[in-house]
Amino acid sequence: MAAILPAAIMNEAPIDLARRQVCVGAAAACAAALGLGVAAQASAALVAADHGRVDPPVPIPDIPVRRAGDGKPASLAGLLHGRATALHLMFTSCSSVCPMQGAIFERVQDLLPDQQKRGIQLISLSIDPLVDTPRAMRAWLDRFAARKGWIAVAPMPEDLDRLFDLFGQGRDAADTHATQVNIIDRRGDLVFRTPELPSADAIADLLRKV
Amino acid sequence: MLAAVAWAQPPAMQAGVSAKAAVNSVSAHEEYARGQALFSGSVDLHGRIYTHAVDMPPMVVRCSNCHAVADGPEVARSLAPRLTRGLLVLPHARRGGPPSHYSRDSFCALLRKGVDPAFVMISVEMPRYAIDDDDCRALWRYLTGSDPNGSDPTRSDHE
Repeated sequence: MAAILPAAIMNEAPIDLARRQVCVGAAAACAAALGLGVAAQASAALVAADHGRVDPPVPIPDIPVRRAGDGKPASLAGLLHGRATALHLMFTSCSSVCPMQGAIFERVQDLLPDQQKRGIQLISLSIDPLVDTPRAMRAWLDRFAARKGWIAVAPMPEDLDRLFDLFGQGRDAADTHATQVNIIDRRGDLVFRTPELPSADAIADLLRKV
Repeated sequence: MLAAVAWAQPPAMQAGVSAKAAVNSVSAHEEYARGQALFSGSVDLHGRIYTHAVDMPPMVVRCSNCHAVADGPEVARSLAPRLTRGLLVLPHARRGGPPSHYSRDSFCALLRKGVDPAFVMISVEMPRYAIDDDDCRALWRYLTGSDPNGSDPTRSDHE
């Protein structure tokens, strides 16, 4: 489902969605076209299989969630409709990679001062719904000075598997989520998955183009 | 920085220990304490994800966010290895590479460049740190040595 793209072009280089579209499903040819060597082509096939443009886009199903703060019920599809969204998985008791993910979204907000005007939002989706109460999620957002346009939500436990299928699971039982950022267009379709722990600049660049 | 360590009149000098030994003892203790503070995050470390152009806030790149140390409490749901003296200084196959062990220099190289002693690159989640020689030496002492001025029950050399 996700595009196979050379890892070397997935980091800090400006995001060129149109160019990447051409590369879908043809990593070696693409690597050659982009001037990458044989070694880069080989490593791309190993490490880049799960990030890049998602083609065709995948509609996000209507999964019920509750929001940070007031705990108000919502539908994930409803939250996504009409906005360009960057979504990551997290849980509030995570001390290792989740604080980095939070810091990255904090910087995305700094890079997009006109976020509201552009119809851009950030969503932190909890994968620990039994622990992540609306209050805990609000406190987590506050740790990173989250402003309007960045929300946190938790699904029902029974929907976790579907969400992992969509957004990626960790590498083993202890590491329960991917640190990739999922880019969702205004129709509510998953259109792009970044590498692990992408930079805020790359996320902001993607969001401006969705 | 360790340059700020007070050298004058360490207590051991008053007990008749040679001046050189006393100074070394104070230095080692201060170095160990500095390493412990850097590890826990009570003193800031500066680091970034290697694909990023800017540093992360110090609170999110603390060693203790991911790594347990010696026999200390585990870090829940973290994949990062528990850092024991044995893990660092004894030969181990790491990240699919051949058996290797750290020296202080290779440990510092790992922190700065993200390459382990067998020249295997560590994962993207491990920040790369802008750490000077003094602080790197202090972290190495904390992780591989013992506090020369006191017993520390959390220290362990076993694997």
